[in-house]
Amino acid sequence: MARVYNWQLGRDMSYWYPEKRPQRQFAAVFDTNKCIACQTCTLACKTTWTSGKGQEYMLWNNVESKPYGSYPLAYDVRLLEQLDGQRWEGSRYAGRTIFEAAPAGERVLGWRPEQQDYSYPNVGEDDCAGQVDHGALIQVPHLSWFFYLARICNHCTYPACLAACPRGSIYKRQEDGIVLVDQGRCRGYQECVRGCPYKKVFFNPMTGTSEKCIACFPKIEQGVQPQCFVNCIGKIRLAGFLSAADQAKAENPIDYLVHLRKVALPLFPQFGLEPNVYYIPPIHAPLAFNEQLFGPGAGAAMAAYRGAPADRDLAGLLCLFGSTPSLVARWRRRGDLVSGLDEKASEIVRVPLLEPVHVRPAVDPTRQVVRTNCP
Amino acid sequence: MRARRQLLAASVLTAASLAAACAKPPAPVQEVVAVRTAVLPAAPDEAVWNAAPEHVAKMIPQDLVEPRLLAPSTAEVRIRALTNGETVAFRLNWADTTKSDTPGPAQMVDACAVQIPQQNGPQPPAPQMGEIGRPVDVVYWRADWQAIVNGRGDSIRDLYPNAYVDPYPFNARPLVPGSPEQADMARRYAPARALDNNRSGPRTAPVEELVAQGPGTSEPAAPRGSTGRGIWAAGSWMVVIARPWPQDVRDGQRTSVAFAVWQGSQHEAGARKMRTGWIPLLAGGAR
Ligand code: SF4
Ligand code: SF4
Ligand code: SF4
Repeated sequence: MARVYNWQLGRDMSYWYPEKRPQRQFAAVFDTNKCIACQTCTLACKTTWTSGKGQEYMLWNNVESKPYGSYPLAYDVRLLEQLDGQRWEGSRYAGRTIFEAAPAGERVLGWRPEQQDYSYPNVGEDDCAGQVDHGALIQVPHLSWFFYLARICNHCTYPACLAACPRGSIYKRQEDGIVLVDQGRCRGYQECVRGCPYKKVFFNPMTGTSEKCIACFPKIEQGVQPQCFVNCIGKIRLAGFLSAADQAKAENPIDYLVHLRKVALPLFPQFGLEPNVYYIPPIHAPLAFNEQLFGPGAGAAMAAYRGAPADRDLAGLLCLFGSTPSLVARWRRRGDLVSGLDEKASEIVRVPLLEPVHVRPAVDPTRQVVRTNCP
Repeated sequence: MRARRQLLAASVLTAASLAAACAKPPAPVQEVVAVRTAVLPAAPDEAVWNAAPEHVAKMIPQDLVEPRLLAPSTAEVRIRALTNGETVAFRLNWADTTKSDTPGPAQMVDACAVQIPQQNGPQPPAPQMGEIGRPVDVVYWRADWQAIVNGRGDSIRDLYPNAYVDPYPFNARPLVPGSPEQADMARRYAPARALDNNRSGPRTAPVEELVAQGPGTSEPAAPRGSTGRGIWAAGSWMVVIARPWPQDVRDGQRTSVAFAVWQGSQHEAGARKMRTGWIPLLAGGAR
């Protein structure tokens, strides 16, 4: 194993291959507070990429109701149980990653979901036991809150899927950091399925190869955001490229949210993959839960997000989510207007910080009708 | 060399004397002897196999490269070999109480492979799939391919009989069922097939020909006309794998052969396998 630097852990760690960062890294920010679990993203991906034979059960994009929802079943808990002592010392991870905890003879600490683990795409959907007059019927650790966690492949800087493949059939593109399974080379050993802690590689029994989210690379190559982003009803997603931590630029929306404001955090950074989908934590979920999912920065991120109404830059940038199909390379706020710009600094979209609100009286006395105010 | 000659003499003697009393199979031998026969049997259960002496090859777990096989499974594979002078046919026989021939998530399939060095010489390359510059030829057989060749259909309901599937895009109008346009569209929804990955089927043979220069390097080989057929019965597999002799191996000469077995029920696939070391292989032992 080689020694590599993982900025999310604040330290060096072991990885199967030496550090080789791509020229730029595809990355995304998901605002969990805005997701309504409509699953439009799931369907957008499904109809675009996984409607073939053998792909029936695959959800490259899925949305699960946390704390209990998970796809495949208990993918997170199963690994968390195996990875003991996930301790942080400040912003430095003092526990072991899945590479460092790999048992003898293995490349990563992994586990293999069984077929039936894929049978419940969102177990516990909308389960919430709060506000029940006579008390909850069952007692479970998390009673009166839930939130939706939308997940795609994290196009990790240190992919476990890639490390686990004994054939080198998985590669990380130098031009954008997108992680792909070479469908010509894969022989379906399913080591990647076992190795990916996010369980974002799926075995196709009809082609006998493993398949995964491709970050809609044909769209990325044309400067367009992926399918599950542009179809997101809740406008929770923004795709772009993330700079190295010491080269963050305030004008890059992803850098601004991840590196500078630290309001968007990686999912399970303690696994050690340096995942590149960053989440704004749900502000109504308990801090301890958010810290387990998103690391020690969760409290500060929640506070920053709560302060967004008085924080015109942060609020402004959040308004750009879901405002354009194009990749937003830069952004700027001028007064109450926020602009998204392309790589040549040409404006591609402009949105107001506050949408104008019109309220009509519910009853129109002239026409003697009652109206519903739909947005 | 002297030891080899003695071995050769012993095996020829064994094969010859026992062929006379064909009812009783020859005693086990220390090498794999490909016994001369006019017509090679296609099936693993034909009586002519009894003419070939059996070599019992001990298997060891693949423990050179990660991921390793941590728990040994198949202890031994029983080998017989026949040749018509052009082609050598091996029959591999190993105990496996579960027949695993349905692929799926976390569902591996039974498989086996025969490996022979591409260049014959006194020192064969590393037994674990050869070395850079010293390739090995591999013929790989799989139980799910055998099931397809035996008639299993190419639909998800052939794997999951109770599956309900919404219409596939490549079955939608205006595409005409069975038309080239429709076939082309279906390929696009099966990326590995679109890239002509041998692994992805649909298959006409249960074997695949590979060439390798070390662990993790296997590539499709130029077609050599290898064939195979496997039968599972009473808790064991019997699989025939036949391939032409390497060009530099002539009658009466020796080369080396190695075998590998994967048990699907033990989640064995790829590097997680049981294997043998190199075993001497004698071409055309007298019958
Ligand atoms: S489309 Fe957007 S809002 Fe709807 S479930 Fe997906 S991420 Fe959430
Ligand atoms: S999330 Fe999983 S599949 Fe995606 S790059 Fe990381 S390890 Fe690979
Ligand atoms: S980025 Fe594209 S391929 Fe990946 S989950 Fe979203 S729609 Fe699917």
